[in-house]
Amino acid sequence: MPELSVILAGFGDALAPINLLFILFGVALGQFVGAVPGIGPVMATAIAIPFTFGMDPLTGIAFLVGVNKGGLVGGAIPAVLLNTPGTPDAAATALDGYPLAKQGKPLKATKMALFSSITGDTFSDIVLITVSAPMAILALRMGPVEVLGLMLLAFAVIAGLMGQSLVKGVVAIALGLMAAMVGTDPEHGSPRLIFGNYELYDGLPLASVAIGMLAISELLKRLSETRGTVRPAITLPRNQPRADRSVSWAEYWGCRFTMLRGAVIGTILGALPGIGSTAAAFMSYASARQASKEPESFGKGSLHGIAASESANSSVMGANMIPMLTLGIPGSVSAALIISAFMIHGIQPGPFLFSQQGQLVYGLFGAMIIANLINLWVGQLGLRFWVRVVSAPEPFIFASALLMCFVGVALASGGLFGIGVMLVFALLAYVMSAFGISVVVFIIAFFLGPRLEISLSQTLALLNGQPQKLLDYPFALVLMALALVTAVALARRRDTESETR
Amino acid sequence: MQAKTSDRLLGLFLILLGVLFFVSIIPWQAQAADYGWLKPRTLPRILAVVLGLCGLALLIRPPGDARPGRFYWARAMLFAGVLVLGLAAMSWLGFVLVAPPMALLLMWLAHERRPLWLLLGAAGMPAAIWFTVAVLLDRPLP
Repeated sequence: MPELSVILAGFGDALAPINLLFILFGVALGQFVGAVPGIGPVMATAIAIPFTFGMDPLTGIAFLVGVNKGGLVGGAIPAVLLNTPGTPDAAATALDGYPLAKQGKPLKATKMALFSSITGDTFSDIVLITVSAPMAILALRMGPVEVLGLMLLAFAVIAGLMGQSLVKGVVAIALGLMAAMVGTDPEHGSPRLIFGNYELYDGLPLASVAIGMLAISELLKRLSETRGTVRPAITLPRNQPRADRSVSWAEYWGCRFTMLRGAVIGTILGALPGIGSTAAAFMSYASARQASKEPESFGKGSLHGIAASESANSSVMGANMIPMLTLGIPGSVSAALIISAFMIHGIQPGPFLFSQQGQLVYGLFGAMIIANLINLWVGQLGLRFWVRVVSAPEPFIFASALLMCFVGVALASGGLFGIGVMLVFALLAYVMSAFGISVVVFIIAFFLGPRLEISLSQTLALLNGQPQKLLDYPFALVLMALALVTAVALARRRDTESETR
Repeated sequence: MQAKTSDRLLGLFLILLGVLFFVSIIPWQAQAADYGWLKPRTLPRILAVVLGLCGLALLIRPPGDARPGRFYWARAMLFAGVLVLGLAAMSWLGFVLVAPPMALLLMWLAHERRPLWLLLGAAGMPAAIWFTVAVLLDRPLP
C-alpha cells in the first residue's frame, strides 16, 4: 500500500489548475462527441490519445478519462432525443428516454440520464479506489506461471463473451495474437514478420492499429451508409413548466435503489474483463423492471428505466480500471486505449504501478472523482447546447474525424507509415465486422500478445521441460483450470443458444 | 442460408491463410533457432494451426451470423480509396495542402451539398487542426 503522504500528494496533483482545465476540456469534448451518433467516447479517446503527447502523464490520462466519462453522459442524449444511441451502451436508455422525450419532456429525460450516470460512475470510482491497492498487493505475489494462467483465463472470458460465436472469438484472438507477433521476438531478439520494414522492429504501432480498427473502419461504414438524407433537427418545446424540464429531488431520491442496483451490477460486470457496459445496462434494466411495483410503466417513459440503464453503463468505466491498474489487463476497449496512453507516456500498468507510480495512480483517482463533478456541472450547463449537436451533418463530422485520425496517428507513430498501417487495419476491421469477427477481441489480444509470449517463455524456462513442476504453482493451476472451465461452459452455452435459435 | 455460405467461405479462407502462414510466410519471415524454450516460429505456427482449425470448424458447422451482404462494399472502398490517395498525396504535398480537398471530396461523396458546411469542413476544420497541432502544440503535421 502506498503511504498516506503519497496518496495525498496524488490527490493534490489532480487539483493542479492545468489538470482541472484539461479534465474540463476532456469532459466537454466527451459530452460533445458522445452526443454525435456514430462517433462516441471510444473513437474520441482513440483520436485524442496522440494529442496527449506533449502533456504530463497525469494531465494526459486525466484528459482521456474526462473524454470517456463525458462521452458516457453525451451518449444518452441522441438515445433520448432521436432513439439513436450515440453509444451502444445507451441503447437501453432509449427504451424509456425516447418515450419520455416524445411526451414533451426531453430535458427531464436527459437530466435523469445525467444524474444517474454520475451516481453510478461515482459509486464504481469509490469501489476502484478502495479495492485496487489491496488487489495490486495480491497481484504482486504472482510470478510468470500465475501471469500465464491469468492471461489464459482472460482470453477464455474475452473470446466467449465478446464474439457472436466461440469459434469466431478464437479467430479474433488468433488474428490479434498474430499481429502481436510482428516485431522483435522477445526471447531471441530476431525480427519476425516485418517484411523488410524496419519501422516494424518494435511491433505494429498500437495507436495505428487501435484507431484504424475502431475509428476509421466505423467511419468508413457510416460514410458508406450515407444516402443524402438530412436528419431532422431537434426542436425543444418552449415555455415548459419546471416540473417537465427538470428532475426534482423527490424523483431522484425515489430512484435510489434502482440506481444502487444498477451501479452494483455495472461495477461487478465492469471488473470482469470483456463483458462491457451494454450488457450491464440491459441487465440492470431487466432487474429494475422485475423488482418494480409498476413493471408496466417500463418502456413508456419511466424514470426508473433511465436510471437503471445509465447508472449501470456508467459504473462499468471505473470498474474496468480495476483489472487494468492491478493486473495490466484491459477490461474494455476504452481501458485498452487508456493503457496505450499509459504506455505512450512510458508507464507500464500492472501491480508494480502502485509501488512505482503511486502518486500518479492516486492523482488519476482524484482526477476521476473531479471529472464526475465536472461532468455534472458541464452536463447541467450544456445539455441544451449538446442537444443541438445531434443535428450536425454527418458528412462534416465524419470528414473532420478522419482528418483528426490522420493527424493523431502521424503524431503517435512518427509519420505517414503509421497512417498506412492504420488504413490497412481499418480495412481488416471492416471485413471482420462484415463476417461477425469481433474487432474488440482482436485489439485486446493484440495488446496482451507480447505479455502472453513473455510469460509463456518464462514459464517454460521455469518448468525446464518438467510439466509436473506445475504442481508447485497451485494458484496458477487454479487459474488455468478456471480458464478451461470457462471456455467449456461458454462453448456449451453457445451450443444451447444456437440449438434454441 | 446465405450467411452460412459466407461463413463457409470465411472458413475456407482461414484454412488457406493458416496453411500459407505455416508453410510459406513464417519460414520466410521468422528465423529458425535451435535453442531456447519458445522459438521465434513456435507461437506464430501454433496460431497458424489454430486459424486453420477454426476455418475447418466454420466450414463444417457455420454459425450463420456473417452479414457481408448488409455492407456497402463499393462505397466503403470508394471512401477508402480517397483516404489512400490522400495519404499518397500527403507524402508529396503535406497535410496543409491535401487536407482541404480531401475533406471536400469526402463530404461531397457523402452527399453534403450545403456551401456553408462544405466550407467549414474543407477550410475551417483543417485550419483548426493546423492551429491546434502546429501552433498550439508545436508539433509537425504529416
